[in-house]
Order: sequence, then structure tokens, then C-alpha cells
Amino acid sequence: MSTFGLPPEMRINLERTRLLLCDDNEQALSVESAMFRGFGMHRQYKASSAKEAMDIIKSREVDLIVMDCGMPDMDGYDFVKWLRTQGPGDAAYIPAILMTGHAARSLVEKSRDCGANFVISKPFTPQVLLQRVYWVAKDERQFVRTAGYVGPDRRVRNLGPPPGMRGRRSTDLSLKVGAAKDPNMEQFEIDSMFKPQKVIL
Amino acid sequence: MSDPNLFKVTSRLSEQVDRPGGMTAQIAMQRVNHEMSAEEHRSREAVGESLTLLETLCREQTGGMDAVYDAATAVIDVAGLFDERVLCDAAYSLCELTDRLRTQDKVDWSAVAVHVEALRLIYSVDPRNAAQFRPVVDGLWKVTDKYKEPSEEAPAAE
Repeated sequence: MSTFGLPPEMRINLERTRLLLCDDNEQALSVESAMFRGFGMHRQYKASSAKEAMDIIKSREVDLIVMDCGMPDMDGYDFVKWLRTQGPGDAAYIPAILMTGHAARSLVEKSRDCGANFVISKPFTPQVLLQRVYWVAKDERQFVRTAGYVGPDRRVRNLGPPPGMRGRRSTDLSLKVGAAKDPNMEQFEIDSMFKPQKVIL
Repeated sequence: MSDPNLFKVTSRLSEQVDRPGGMTAQIAMQRVNHEMSAEEHRSREAVGESLTLLETLCREQTGGMDAVYDAATAVIDVAGLFDERVLCDAAYSLCELTDRLRTQDKVDWSAVAVHVEALRLIYSVDPRNAAQFRPVVDGLWKVTDKYKEPSEEAPAAE
């Protein structure tokens, strides 16, 4: 197994990316800044509170936001919710990654509903963080705006229960494959399903 | 209720990552290791300061569970960036304990003290040798799980 979140030879260019980093823990902010410098992101705005981050968003162009969830006054969840619903212009759609240490009970719903692209749990490795940045960049989910939620589409494909688990939904299919009802397909029938056909309109 | 409005957003980040230049993930990690090594000493001191605060809170039994929770999250905030899993698991157990206690409007300083002593013990060794304390962390979770709420119990098998 690779020790890298991304394949080691994969190229990623973050030289021009303007990063807004926000953490009320001074040392954590310093380490996070060092981590992103290592990724090649030297254009960083640093904020120690959500209020400072709001001021930066209103006055600067930012391409990526990485923020700690747990902060006094206004936490990361409320900041992203503000950004998505009241952020100025296109800033409302800036990709946002939240970092959390512990998921307190009172914040579980806020985490789900705030509109962040990702919530990443500490501890994590720099490899994982770089991978999440890449995933966010390549995120093709549409944005959704409803009365109660603005953010990336949270709907996911239902791939059924995990292996070995019974599904909880009435629509979950059985894991057992039953006996075949029809004879096996001929090879030409299988091939014809993949072969492009000329269509005369 | 109004229908959801779905729309496509193309971020500048998505255009930037694929531009020519940049670096490989491997080189990025080498650079990160170099950058972070300069932060390691100060970070370890910061974690130590959080542990000292936790010890003071335990000794004086002041500040309540909220203050303990905040100090425990400060441990994860910094140690979590260095992937110190055993220390973070112990701090996470303390966060979970204090979160459960405050949700249930309870206080248990002896359970908190056991966590803080274990955190200091794990912190005292080189992080590369912290795995030996995994059974200690398992024990901390048993203490924390004494305050598990009925709704958190696993549903009975059908």
C-alpha cells in the first residue's frame, strides 16, 4: 500500500492558490501554515478567528479555505454557513475544508448542514490533507440551494450495506446471489452490448 | 416548500491544480517534512502546556467540564497535526468523557484525573514509542463508556 494519499508521482500545482487558514490555536495555525507551504501554497492569509476570516473574505480573493471547527464566538460550521448564505458574490462557493478534533454531540447536525466540502478529523497526516485538497479541487458535485442548506450536493449513491452487514432499509437488496433464471448469454450477445452501432436517423 | 436549486460551480482551485509546473506528491511530502520539523519542538511544548493546564484543573477542580473539554481539544489540535494517534486517542476519550458528563449534567473528577495522568505518561515518551500505551487508552475508553447514554448502546440483534 502506498504511504501517500495521492500517487507519489502525481503532479499538483498549488503555487497560485490563495489560501485562507483560520485557527484560534496559535501553534496549530503555525503548523498548518507550514504544512501548506510544503504543498507549495505560499499565498496564505491567516486568521485567528472567524470574524477575521470574514473580513479577509470581504476584502481579498481566496481560492481555498481551511478552518478549525472549534473556535470561540463563531465556530467553523457557522462561518461556512455564513459564507454559503451571505458570502459576497462568488466567494459563497469557495471550497472549504473544516478540521475537527472531537465531534461534540451538540455540533453533529451543524457539521452535516453547514455546507463544507469536507470535514477532516484530527489526527491526520499531511498525505491525507493533500489528498483532500485534491479531492476538493476535483469535486464535481453540484451546489444545492434550498431553504435550509447551501453547499455541495450531499446525496450519495446508495451502494447498499457494507459487506457482511444486513441492510436497514427496506429497499436494500439481499447479498445472496440466487440461481440463474435464464441461460448464459452467448459471447456475441455480450460483445454487442459493448460494440458501438451505426445508427441511421 | 420551494424546490432545491441545483447548479454547477467551477472553482479557481480546480483550474489551478492541473496547470503545468507544481510538484509531485512525493516532493510535496519531502518539503512538508522539512517545514514541519521546524515546528515540532514548539508544538511539543504547546501540548505540554495544555497538559499542565489539565493537571491544574484537576488539582483545583475548577472550571468544570467545559474547561477540561477545551484543554483536551487543544491537545488534539496540535498533536493531531503530527499524527500522534495514541496521545490523540487518549485526549479524544477525555473529550468524549467530558462531553458526556456535561450533557448528563454530571461531574467526575476522578475519571478526568485518570485520563490526565495517562496523557502525561504517553506524552513523556518519544511519540514513535507511544504504541506501547495502546492498552492504557483502551482502559480509558472503558472509564468513558461508563457514561454512555442508553441511546448510544448498539441496537439489539434482530
